[in-house]
Amino acid sequence: MKAKEIIGRGEEVHGRLYVKVEKQEVRELIKTLKENKFQHFVMLSCIDWIDDGEFELIYHLWSYEYREHVMISTRIKREGEEMESLHDLFPQIETYEREIKEMYGVNFIGNERLTPFFLEGWPHMPPMRKDFDSKKFIKDVFESIPPVEDEDEGI
Amino acid sequence: MKYEEWSKISRIASKKSLWILHFCTGCGAIEMPPVMTSRFDMERFGMAPMATPRQADVLLITGYLTVKTLKRVIQVYEQMQDPKYVVAFGSCPINGGMYWDSYNTINQLDKYLPVDLYLAGCMPRPEGIINAMMELMEMIEKGEARGWEKYRKNYEKYKKNQEMAFKFGKVEE
Amino acid sequence: MVNELINVLIIAIYATVAMMIGILFMGIGRKIVARVHNRVGPPIYQGFIDIAKLILKKTNITHGWIYDLALLFSITGIVLTILFLPIGGVKLLSTEGDAFLVLYLLAIPALGFALGAGASGNPNSAIGVMRALVMMLSYELPFVISMVALMIYYDTTSIAEIVASQYGKWAILIPPFAISAAVADMALQGMLMEAPFDIPIAPHEIASGPMAEFGGKHLGSLMIYKAGSIVAYTTLFVDLFLGGGVVMKGGIVADVVNFIVWFILIFLVFTLSLLINTSFPRFRIEQAFKFYWKYEAVLAIIALVWVYWMVIS
Repeated sequence: MKAKEIIGRGEEVHGRLYVKVEKQEVRELIKTLKENKFQHFVMLSCIDWIDDGEFELIYHLWSYEYREHVMISTRIKREGEEMESLHDLFPQIETYEREIKEMYGVNFIGNERLTPFFLEGWPHMPPMRKDFDSKKFIKDVFESIPPVEDEDEGI
Repeated sequence: MKYEEWSKISRIASKKSLWILHFCTGCGAIEMPPVMTSRFDMERFGMAPMATPRQADVLLITGYLTVKTLKRVIQVYEQMQDPKYVVAFGSCPINGGMYWDSYNTINQLDKYLPVDLYLAGCMPRPEGIINAMMELMEMIEKGEARGWEKYRKNYEKYKKNQEMAFKFGKVEE
Repeated sequence: MVNELINVLIIAIYATVAMMIGILFMGIGRKIVARVHNRVGPPIYQGFIDIAKLILKKTNITHGWIYDLALLFSITGIVLTILFLPIGGVKLLSTEGDAFLVLYLLAIPALGFALGAGASGNPNSAIGVMRALVMMLSYELPFVISMVALMIYYDTTSIAEIVASQYGKWAILIPPFAISAAVADMALQGMLMEAPFDIPIAPHEIASGPMAEFGGKHLGSLMIYKAGSIVAYTTLFVDLFLGGGVVMKGGIVADVVNFIVWFILIFLVFTLSLLINTSFPRFRIEQAFKFYWKYEAVLAIIALVWVYWMVIS
């Protein structure tokens, strides 16, 4: 694969290149790939490995010329560790980081726009973590609201 | 003229010209344009789409409602003039539908807004929508569609339910 | 004394019948548009049902007394305009010089709109009212020039005299007035707020403009105003260019026949404006302004100069 020649490491999984790095090396790697025709930033996704106690952040990049997909993955601890923000390389990373902050609770240093996106006034823990119990939440919050009864109901 | 006869005339005039608010909340909004255009014509019953809530009679909730949208829908509902009717499409306002265990969608619309008519399906076809509108017209004529009176009488209870939903269960006493 | 009372009664009956015809035309208009779109439309009496439903609604909101009473300006202005136009040759209140009076009265309904929409405080209404006033400014220029051409040819300033002088030969059959009639028909599209000139009440762009905050009883008064405006403006056009519907002179029988001919003529003019409505999208306000002041004004001035040359020689 052309991408493997450019960065020199990683393994090929299902036709895509999967590179595991430390969190300090991510910026250099993305800059190298961006200068070598990997100019489309697809997505930033997050996986919750609750047994290891870590979050895995994956940066996806695509090249139109070589038609190859590169996944750059780093791991940070679930509690107390922060990641630096890369939105000066690709501007759309700002929105992805905003979503991950709201859904998983990962803080990104350098991003000034980490305000709530979909959930207004959310007081509980970030909902996409694996220790958030959906069924109990629904029973406590939504099903405990009483229906409105009317004495002389005509319907 | 006695009150019963006068309100009967008012109900007949109301049923023959229902104006629908063009506020498309969820995935069911895609079924509204076929109902309005030439194939399944709804204008022959007197119904027409209107641009603002102050001019409309019927509020259509087409699909699921997140808590963020529910705040806006309630503001829209309170701006409409009486008598007004709410019709809920799809299975999501009935019992949550496909999103029943999601952290952000409400499960039963009847706890927050008085609903006059439910229409099951995921999404109902335009023939189903026109059938529902004719059923609504019959209900209006018989005097059974009185959701707006229920909202006025039980205003505090509805407000308390809405507050509990907006704050996701953590209401300070 | 009794004569005057009978006169007042006849004037009141004519004005009421004119407003009823306007509401009927609203329903027939929706049916014609529906048939052009290849579908069945609402029944013909739908205008009456709409207005009845709107008036029987309870009102939840108010924005002050200006907002409540502003639409009375519009309705008063339009009823006054109807009273000064001869309907089927019968003079209701026309006198000498009433052509200028009717031109002044054309501006009052827009002012009523502006007051009501301004008092409601919605920014969409403010944009819509500004566009309505700019459009009124732009369509009045070619329309006034066409009317001046008519007044020069027939040597009078009373619309009833213009109608009476067209007995036997309609004004539209004289060549320069064919151009004037085309110009005035386009100005009529602007007056009736039909496409391509329905800029102030656009539902998708500015949430129906000045009508955004009106609901219930206020919207019912607005529909009554619209019904009256359909009859008033088409009657003005028919009186100026199509002979006013006068085909017989005589007593009561002539009045009835003239009324029927007038009804058919305003129906044809209204249908023409509806057919243009269904075929065209909407202009922007600067395109409408350019259309009226560049192309139409030049055509109207050509017709005026031709008429003046015909009169002099």
